[in-house]
Amino acid sequence: MPQLLPLTFRRPARIASLFLACAVFSACKDKKGPDTVAVPPAPGGTIVIATSTDASTMLPPLVSGIVDRQVTDLLYDRLADIGQNLNTVGDKDFTAQLAERWEWATDSLSIVFFINPHAMWHDGQPVRASDVRFSVKLMKDPSLGSPATALLVNVDSVSVRDSVTAVAWFKRHTPEQFYDLVYQVPILPEHILSNTPVAQLKTAEVGRRGIGSGRFRLDKWEPGQRIVLVSDNFNYRGRAKIDRVIFAISPDFNAASTRFFAGDADLFENLRVEQLPEIAKDTGKKTQRLPSLSYNYLAMNMIDPKNPGQPHPIFGDRAVRRALTMAVDRRAMLKNVFDTIGQLAYGPFPHSMTVADTTLPQIPYDTAKARALLDSAGWVAGPDGIRSKLGRRLAFSITTPSSSAARHSYAILLQEAFRKVGADVKLDESDFAGYLTRLTSHTFDTEMANFSTDPSVSGFQQSWSTRFIGKDGQNHYSYSNPRVDAMLDSATVAFDPARSKLYARHAFEAIMDDAPGIWLYEPPTIAGVHKRIRMVKLRADAYFSGLADWWIPSNERIQRDVIGVGPTP
Amino acid sequence: MRRYLAARLFQAVGVVVFVTTFSFVLIHLAPGDPVAGALRGPNVSETVREQWRATYGLDRPLPEQYARWLLSTARGELGYSFSLHRPVRDVFLDALPNTLLLSGTALLLSFGLGMAVGVLQAERPRGARDRWMGRTLLVFFSVPDFWFALVILILFAYRLPWFPAGGLKDSFGYDYLPPLAKVRDRLWHLALPVFTLTVLTAANAARQQRAALIAVLPSDWMRTALAKGLSWRAAVRKHAFRNALLPTITLLGISVPQFAAGSIFVEKVFTWPGVGLLTVNAIGARDYPLVTSGVLVASIIVVCAALVADIAVAIADPRIRLS
Repeated sequence: MPQLLPLTFRRPARIASLFLACAVFSACKDKKGPDTVAVPPAPGGTIVIATSTDASTMLPPLVSGIVDRQVTDLLYDRLADIGQNLNTVGDKDFTAQLAERWEWATDSLSIVFFINPHAMWHDGQPVRASDVRFSVKLMKDPSLGSPATALLVNVDSVSVRDSVTAVAWFKRHTPEQFYDLVYQVPILPEHILSNTPVAQLKTAEVGRRGIGSGRFRLDKWEPGQRIVLVSDNFNYRGRAKIDRVIFAISPDFNAASTRFFAGDADLFENLRVEQLPEIAKDTGKKTQRLPSLSYNYLAMNMIDPKNPGQPHPIFGDRAVRRALTMAVDRRAMLKNVFDTIGQLAYGPFPHSMTVADTTLPQIPYDTAKARALLDSAGWVAGPDGIRSKLGRRLAFSITTPSSSAARHSYAILLQEAFRKVGADVKLDESDFAGYLTRLTSHTFDTEMANFSTDPSVSGFQQSWSTRFIGKDGQNHYSYSNPRVDAMLDSATVAFDPARSKLYARHAFEAIMDDAPGIWLYEPPTIAGVHKRIRMVKLRADAYFSGLADWWIPSNERIQRDVIGVGPTP
Repeated sequence: MRRYLAARLFQAVGVVVFVTTFSFVLIHLAPGDPVAGALRGPNVSETVREQWRATYGLDRPLPEQYARWLLSTARGELGYSFSLHRPVRDVFLDALPNTLLLSGTALLLSFGLGMAVGVLQAERPRGARDRWMGRTLLVFFSVPDFWFALVILILFAYRLPWFPAGGLKDSFGYDYLPPLAKVRDRLWHLALPVFTLTVLTAANAARQQRAALIAVLPSDWMRTALAKGLSWRAAVRKHAFRNALLPTITLLGISVPQFAAGSIFVEKVFTWPGVGLLTVNAIGARDYPLVTSGVLVASIIVVCAALVADIAVAIADPRIRLS
């Protein structure tokens, strides 16, 4: 742990002498300038991240929000970590974490994991194979209610051969069985958690302690104010290159961004386009585009919300869906909402996925064709310009959460685009809880969907496969196409990544041809960052996963990098 | 007096029970539930959500949920916050002192300042000082609090970085400060939210005080005081001021709950983790126990403030009898 010195804050003389000492120290240690430093200098520094939400738990199986995930990913290690390319097939691109190596059984139905004997929990206890067994058993326990339980169906159990050897047993040999286990299961301390009944872990105080084996450990969690993580100095994977990470919580977007611009924070991850000129004027700050696996689209409900079981009277017709897609100038909308920083969504996938294919044919923007297609589908324009068919007007609503400014703007632009081809569109906005209720109860016509997929191709099944229609699935739009089902099934069982991509391509092509959604944009995640911070290993599924390897050159460190943190052992 | 207090306390309990029951029903009628908000990830199945609802008793009929809440509240247990994953009692024990500090300081300062300005205005009604003060007060009385708080934040925390941009204390250095510097750091963080609330509320207090003073200035006893040789300023400050206090005391009683509500925006902009902000966020997250407990706390503050204001009025004006 960093040694905390009882320094007097804001006393110029002491601070100045401290800076002088640091400068002399860094001058001796770091002979190259900051721009030419090839390897990080001596560890040190503090990163303050301004965020507008607090964490809700420190127990990885129960995480639901982004801050939960960020913090727990830094606190808890997995058996192995996914590679930078997010390849989920086999184990080739995974790197060792708690398991220093692993061996596959000849039938591939079990994998033996050899735990690093130097791995310790943050309370000083050694990490054991029994912790792996406990973690899997806990996550699969229905009484815990972990959102990730459904992702572990192929993991049968874990047995313990000796204190540092765990054997994971699988039901079937699949391309992603290794990924299923190591990506979804952060390893938890049995000696801390096993004394609490599983059903009570949701509310137990023990779930807030955050004792893991990662390169950062939890120092403080002051709800609604800050979460302080400090480097675990004796970590088996080596000390983090940053001393401290502080999540400074502000409950409002403007307050959080002002904290960043005022210099109280070093990183703010959701800059808006209108804030970019401010960054450009500030010589101490820079922008950093963060990769992500999110994409946004206008999703169309295939079933009638008033008569479940019946096709939707408008969107049940493929020709109408395609016509409405043709009515939308996606590029102009992107420019309107995000100016130069937006990225157009290509299809039902984010660009950063390995299976993404940007050569697929798209439905072009063509309002004349859109009108013609609607005419041929029997939707005839009335005196007010609104089309109708058999007495039913071409009228529907766009459901969107009021909390999202971008989705709100898009909904208005779509309303106008659809009006031009004869559709009467109403906006149906509600707070997030209300929006979610509409979504899960299927009581909407169209909705401004945001989907963050996981790195696996199986994630697409959850949105687009017929078997994920229903209360436990994520196919809220009841989209069903046997060809898509077959192709996605094939993609998830193909051991050859190239074949998997080919099957996924066929599935995407069929989905795009069916037009169950209008692919609008990939939300641009532009972070504002203090220039002294060097960010490395920004992975698309979790840009913060490599935070322990971020660094700050010694000669660029500022007051908060040194206050309270002494020389490290 | 005792009978009056007993009757008022009885009324107060009735008001609190009615208000909390009403809010309990209202928040349960709103679309969405706490579990849907807490588990919003793409992989969360409805079965998992149902399991969480069963764990927290949200699948039980509304009257049963209400009875359970009432019983646990009577035992001093306010339930468990779904959105913050903490016992509600702990959440309020953390937030209440912050609200009391912010609102209490601002309330004292705003009424002190408001009454002083009101007296200064009333000393020379319709004079130059009265006019420019009146216009300035009207501006502050009219501006929306959320907008004003943002302007203050951007001006004094970003453009002129004299004060911190929010929070209770320094995010990184507070723990390493000596005790006196810790107090200074707290005050430094308190400055902008208190200033914002004070300025906004002082305007109303000043207008009330000025109007009340002007109403009593033509009284016979003022003429007598002046005839006995008191200066105009001394007569206003010693005699008229006390007689003009009643409307301001009543306003003070009304302002206490308004402060709890009005400071929500200030708490939000300045990241001040108080009760108001907590309750508003809880409404968005459909955190039933937190919302109902927030209303419970607020309603207790309201009835207590009203009671204290009534007693204070009786003390200030001996002609009023509590009965």
